[in-house]
Amino acid sequence: MDSTPPPQTPPEPSREPVPVTSAPIRHLELKAALLLVLTAVLVSGYIGYVLYARGIFESTQRLVLTTDNSEGVYVGMEMTFAGFSIGKVRRIELGDDGRAHIHIAVPVQNARWLRVSSVFTMERALVGGTRIRAFSGQLDDPPLPEGAERQVLRGDSTEELPALIASVKGLLQNLQALTSADSSLGQSLGNVRTVTERMAGGSGALAAALGSEANANKVIAAVDRTNKLLDSLGGVSARLDQTLVKTDQRVFGRDGIMDETQKVVTQLNAVLGDARESLKKADAVLADAQKISSNARGVTDGLAGLREEVDASLRKVAALIDEINRKWPFKRDTELKLP
Amino acid sequence: MQSHPIRKALGKQGAALHAWAAGWWRVFHFGAIALVMAVSPSAYDRETRNVMARQIYFTALQILPGFILVSALACYIVMRAVITAASVYGFTEYAQDMAMRVLVLDLVPMFVALFVAVRSGSAIGTEIVLMHINGELDALQRRGADPMRHALVPRVIGSVVSVVALIAVGGAISLWLAYVEVYGLSPWGIQDFTRSVGQIFDPAATLGLALKSLLFGLTVAVIPITASLDMPRVMRFAPIGVMNGLVRLFLMLALIEGASLATRYL
Repeated sequence: MDSTPPPQTPPEPSREPVPVTSAPIRHLELKAALLLVLTAVLVSGYIGYVLYARGIFESTQRLVLTTDNSEGVYVGMEMTFAGFSIGKVRRIELGDDGRAHIHIAVPVQNARWLRVSSVFTMERALVGGTRIRAFSGQLDDPPLPEGAERQVLRGDSTEELPALIASVKGLLQNLQALTSADSSLGQSLGNVRTVTERMAGGSGALAAALGSEANANKVIAAVDRTNKLLDSLGGVSARLDQTLVKTDQRVFGRDGIMDETQKVVTQLNAVLGDARESLKKADAVLADAQKISSNARGVTDGLAGLREEVDASLRKVAALIDEINRKWPFKRDTELKLP
Repeated sequence: MQSHPIRKALGKQGAALHAWAAGWWRVFHFGAIALVMAVSPSAYDRETRNVMARQIYFTALQILPGFILVSALACYIVMRAVITAASVYGFTEYAQDMAMRVLVLDLVPMFVALFVAVRSGSAIGTEIVLMHINGELDALQRRGADPMRHALVPRVIGSVVSVVALIAVGGAISLWLAYVEVYGLSPWGIQDFTRSVGQIFDPAATLGLALKSLLFGLTVAVIPITASLDMPRVMRFAPIGVMNGLVRLFLMLALIEGASLATRYL
């Protein structure tokens, strides 16, 4: 290895000009010039293409969108219509009104998609950048004028996220409280299990309703006793029926109370006939007495005695009537015509 | 007694630092001279053009077919990888943009710079260090020719042209592959593709790419040449000169790429 350089060193001075002047290459400068031309073509083509791509050669129309938050919007961002880029953000500035003004350059050939009734939205997605979109519902409306200013509608899926997460958290907490072992739901389910276990037992649903087997047995005993009671009650009512039949016979049957009452009434009628006769006599006596009274006052003593007799007889009648009334509750021909 | 070795050590450190700073200063000084000469038409004469053409021929033209093949293959693989990864994560619509951005703005220039540095940078360094040690540059001067104008600067200009040409070719290949990869050979994607290109290559990116290409081209020639000229005229220092040149060259390429990324993404 070390021995190789020394032999090479002596001839080197003689080869000094060799690398610079010798080893001619055919058409060297032409080839180099060709490469230069190729490079120039590529570079200028690239620059031209990029300028074209950036829309330098297009005449554009200005559109200003205002929003209260231009977060995520950058210069060069595209505005799409039906998924196609129809304009680019040229400038973003904070206006005097405290709102962000987004200046959009819309190539004139694309401006036909924008109408006075067009709506502009700005959406911020969770993944990917902000998007500005244009919607034209009525393509028959007059076209959007140059320099038009429109408010952009914002839709931000991330903005509602904290509120959503907060409510979901609350929901989960409730769910956790609901499903934990000592929750009322858990206890209720435990109770349901106890009840169903009891229902599955010997006394069935009765034990479930009353809480224990013993209570259920008590109820069953009570029902049994009630049944017995009802049986004896049936006997009682049969006897009652018999009593009623007998009573009927005694009251309304032959030689019953009614029969005898009728007899009494007949007798009473006879008594009353006698009383009427007595009263007629008394009336005659009274008429005589009237005639006499004017003449003889002393006769009144005898009259008083008569009167007492009449009173006594009347009292008897009254007592008789009362007795009839007592014995005969149904008032039939109760009216007694007194003279 | 004690201060003497410290002062000596400090002196050694100071001398090393001075040499390091002087070395970089010569790099920038030579680079500036090369730039000024490149833009002054009076600097070009027949010999200058001949050396420049040779440099372009060896650096770019000789390897052009191989370069096209290799870069097409590499671009295809990178493009495929980016698009597949993006479709796995559901970012297919961003895949093409991402791939074009990465390839044209970063990978292709870096690939070209490294390729030229390894192949031509080392060759230039070796050639110049030999010319320097053998006194060939002095011989030129004695003949009445300016070594700077007739030997060194043409190599720098040739390198710059070669690097820019190769980056342009590589960029064109990767743009074409990016189109074909997504739309196939149909012309219906041109509108959409143009829109993507317009979005990616904004003025800042284009200007950055141009500046980076220029700096890469300058670096691959200027640093090996200055490192070679820094060496003492002793044959055993020749490998050290070439090695120094390559190490500084890679450091500089990394710095340029880092600065480019920083200005773009920070």
